[in-house]
Amino acid sequence: MIKIKDLEKIYRTEEVETVALNKLSLEVKEGEFVAVMGPSGCGKSTLLNILGLLDDPDGGSFMFNNIEVAHFNERKRADLRKHNIGFVFQSFNLIDELTVFENVELPLIYTGVKSAERKKRVEEVLDKMQIMHRRNHYPQQLSGGQQQRVAVARAVVNRPKLILADEPTGNLDSSNGNEVMQLLTDLNEQGTTIVMVTHSEHDARYSHRIIRMLDGQTVLENIMV
Amino acid sequence: MLRNYFKIAWRNLWKHRSFSLIIVCGMAVAFAAAILLSVTAHQELTYDQFHENKDHIYQLYDIDQRPNGIEYGATMPVPMAPTLKNEYGDIVYITRWGSGEGEYVRYKDKELDLSTRAVDPDFLRMFSFPVVAGDKSPLKELNHIAITENCAKTLFGNEEAIGKTLEIQFGGEWRSMLVTAIVKNIPTNSSFKFDILTRFENFPGYKTNSDRWDNRNHEVFLQLNENVSKASMEKRLPAFSQKYMAGKIEDLKKAGVQPDAEGYYTRMKLIPLEDLHFTNISNTGAGVSRFYPYLLVLISAFILFIACVNFVNLSLARSFTRAKEIGIRKVMGALRWQLITQFWGEALIVSSMALLVGVGLAYWLLPYYQAIFYPGISMRVLGSPLFLAYLVLGFLFITLLAGGYPAWVVSAFNTVQTVKGKLATGKSNALRNTLMVVQFVLSSLLIICTFIAWQQLQYLRNKPLGFNKEEIISIPISPTLESEKAIQLMRTKLAQQPQVISITAADINMGKGRDGSLQTSIMGFDYKDKIIRTHWQLVDYDYLKTFGLQLVEGRDFSREYGTDSLALIINETMAKQLGEGSAVGALLPVEEDKNYTVIGVVKDFHFKSLHQEVAPLTLSLNHVWPLQYIFVRVQPTALASAMEMVTKAYKEIDPRSMFEASYLDENTDRQYERETKLSKIFVSGAVLTILISCMGLFAIVLLVIVQRTREIGIRKVLGASVPHIVALVSKDFIRLVALAIIIASPLAWYIMNQWLKDFAYRITIEWWVFVLAGLVAIFIAFITLSFQSVKAALKNPVKSLRTE
Repeated sequence: MIKIKDLEKIYRTEEVETVALNKLSLEVKEGEFVAVMGPSGCGKSTLLNILGLLDDPDGGSFMFNNIEVAHFNERKRADLRKHNIGFVFQSFNLIDELTVFENVELPLIYTGVKSAERKKRVEEVLDKMQIMHRRNHYPQQLSGGQQQRVAVARAVVNRPKLILADEPTGNLDSSNGNEVMQLLTDLNEQGTTIVMVTHSEHDARYSHRIIRMLDGQTVLENIMV
Repeated sequence: MLRNYFKIAWRNLWKHRSFSLIIVCGMAVAFAAAILLSVTAHQELTYDQFHENKDHIYQLYDIDQRPNGIEYGATMPVPMAPTLKNEYGDIVYITRWGSGEGEYVRYKDKELDLSTRAVDPDFLRMFSFPVVAGDKSPLKELNHIAITENCAKTLFGNEEAIGKTLEIQFGGEWRSMLVTAIVKNIPTNSSFKFDILTRFENFPGYKTNSDRWDNRNHEVFLQLNENVSKASMEKRLPAFSQKYMAGKIEDLKKAGVQPDAEGYYTRMKLIPLEDLHFTNISNTGAGVSRFYPYLLVLISAFILFIACVNFVNLSLARSFTRAKEIGIRKVMGALRWQLITQFWGEALIVSSMALLVGVGLAYWLLPYYQAIFYPGISMRVLGSPLFLAYLVLGFLFITLLAGGYPAWVVSAFNTVQTVKGKLATGKSNALRNTLMVVQFVLSSLLIICTFIAWQQLQYLRNKPLGFNKEEIISIPISPTLESEKAIQLMRTKLAQQPQVISITAADINMGKGRDGSLQTSIMGFDYKDKIIRTHWQLVDYDYLKTFGLQLVEGRDFSREYGTDSLALIINETMAKQLGEGSAVGALLPVEEDKNYTVIGVVKDFHFKSLHQEVAPLTLSLNHVWPLQYIFVRVQPTALASAMEMVTKAYKEIDPRSMFEASYLDENTDRQYERETKLSKIFVSGAVLTILISCMGLFAIVLLVIVQRTREIGIRKVLGASVPHIVALVSKDFIRLVALAIIIASPLAWYIMNQWLKDFAYRITIEWWVFVLAGLVAIFIAFITLSFQSVKAALKNPVKSLRTE
């Protein structure tokens, strides 16, 4: 599903050049659950942003479903993104002004799904995440675990092939964290590919494969048994 | 999708109620002001535009080369109109327009002061004052009149007006007139105002002047053939002057004047109807400067612009705080145009609310506005397609700018950054600051203009005029009274009153009385091979004493001299014109067979408004036409009770009169109505712009403080005092205001200097006005800033640090 070769990303300011990704190569197969680990500043978030088509690389090749996307413009990336990729963030990133239902509905709106169909699919996914009873609440009225469940619901409502999770349990206590990890595992078992950045060895154990990064390169891969 | 946008827009507005309120209020006030001002400007600029033949109608005027310069005049001799029509086939219609006496109308027991105008039957053919009832081509007979609907209602109530007979006073004589037609009420933007139209043959002095070319007492309007241009007609008119005004040309030659570039001593020209309202030459036009309506449009544009800047700035600032939302939407797949549409939608909601409130506000304020600034404007123009198109386009533009632009800026940022809520704000600050400077430039401009206009007005009001104006009551004598008798009666009645110092009378009021009339009478005659022109005023005994005028030479009129009816008192300027060493004793051949003798010279005084320099003036005791105003000088100790007493005395002489007496200082103030109106416009403009600018400033500071909460907290922890923090936050903004003042000052100086050129007597603009205006602007801005900055500075730093 994802094939990366010699990927480069360099952040430049007037005085400093920071190499975030240094000729990184990586492959993720469909249906895999991959965890990316490494110290702060090793380039994991940059990698995730590029995988999520939120950012473009400065060099190298990025094949997504056998299509070269490294040089896609913003519009093409947005199009590919909204149909194929779901995001889960550490800080949930729900829109405060929208209710639970509306937050989850958002990706469907942007992919042009009709209203009746939207309602059906949102309710379906809220049901699955067991937050149906909270559908008319605003994010601030929910606990952290509930908020992250809404965020996961939002990430999967469009039935993406790939979910990118950026420290999904970072702001949660351990029991809520385990719950979210269980959700991701369930999704993976149903066929969704997952790439997750994490600091937590515990969470990483849910994955099939751990990629360890340092200074913009992969240094080690552990295959989980 | 749209519903989703509106929903989130509404919630956003509600969540940030204070911002929304500031924007809606500011825009609503701006819309209301802009509506009222542009309706006024529209009214002014469309004066006389409702006549179907407007493009072919002109007023006749002449240009004379005089020893003291070129003189324009629109009054014409009686034979002018008929002779012109005979000579030129291209004149389709021509009419004389006589106004003045003949104001009183009697029907049964009612006696009313209505304006009767004397015209030729062509008048109703060329001008679009449609006949709604009665004879469709009215004024066939000399005793026929046409009246307006309002006039019919006033006179006859619900009775049928056509066929009724009423009496009108012409030159002291009552004549029966038959109503044969009713014309539609006159639009408020008409230069021609009348209640009753009568044939010109009824105009006082018609018979005696019917073949005299040297006596001028009315105006002439004509309609040209559609294919004849103004210029081509004007080229043909000098031949007419040569033929019929040879005497005048001779006189001018004798006076040694130089002909104009084309060799003419006098020539006639045409004023297009569209210029009538704005010209000083015509007596019918108002002499309104085109500058005023355009100024109104400009000020309303200022106000709207300032409100829009608030809108743009606040939306821009807020969209940065909403960066996270924008980022998330982008991650979810929103395209740029979708985001812009969303923000534009929000702007649309806010502006629609503001527009609704603004229109409501304008309607609500209309009566007050009419009372203070401009009677007679109507909102009807708001419904016109042009106005609506202008409104809709302007509206869409504003909302697109205010809503779309910020979204356009923010949506261009890197998605990853926006999701984190972090944005580089440097570029937008430059834009925000520029817009704020422009706002304050406009506000400071108006503040400075207000100061200068106010100073000039005070100067006009307080400049010593050379006569006593505070203690003199001026009383118009009703035309129904015999004036000499009325003056005599008043003298007897008031003689015993201890409050009364002296009484006199004149044919011309001083300043502009409550009857609204401003008259001028100018006399010309030859004196020692020179043409002398002088203001001519008929006065009664005690004129000098009553007004407190100072004699510099000779003596006052006195009852002890039997010959004083041919005696004259002149002012210093007149004496200078005569060019004598001593003017006293000079014999002036004012009438062909009579010499008048100058018996005294008075110190110059301002008998006209301070727009003009003091001109030559001659006072005569020979009442060749009736005096019209009585002046009573009273003791300064009891001005109010004196007015009461004089009112009572006059009512006894003329119980039916509408008594319109006033103190002279009111009258002289009334001469500056235009200036007073202008300074009111400036004041309101200044107040509105500074208010709206400060609302914007207030909101921006609020946002800046939110953004800098952490910085302020850290600084406090490190020991910054409250004044330090206030200064920190205020400094940047005060700098912008100061910059604005520096930009506004030369602009204001230039504009107001142009304006002051209108006055013969004027202030010089002082440097401290700019400093004062600057201090005012900075002070107001600082107060606005302090509300927020002090609050932020007093906040517990532990709390503000925790917010990150």
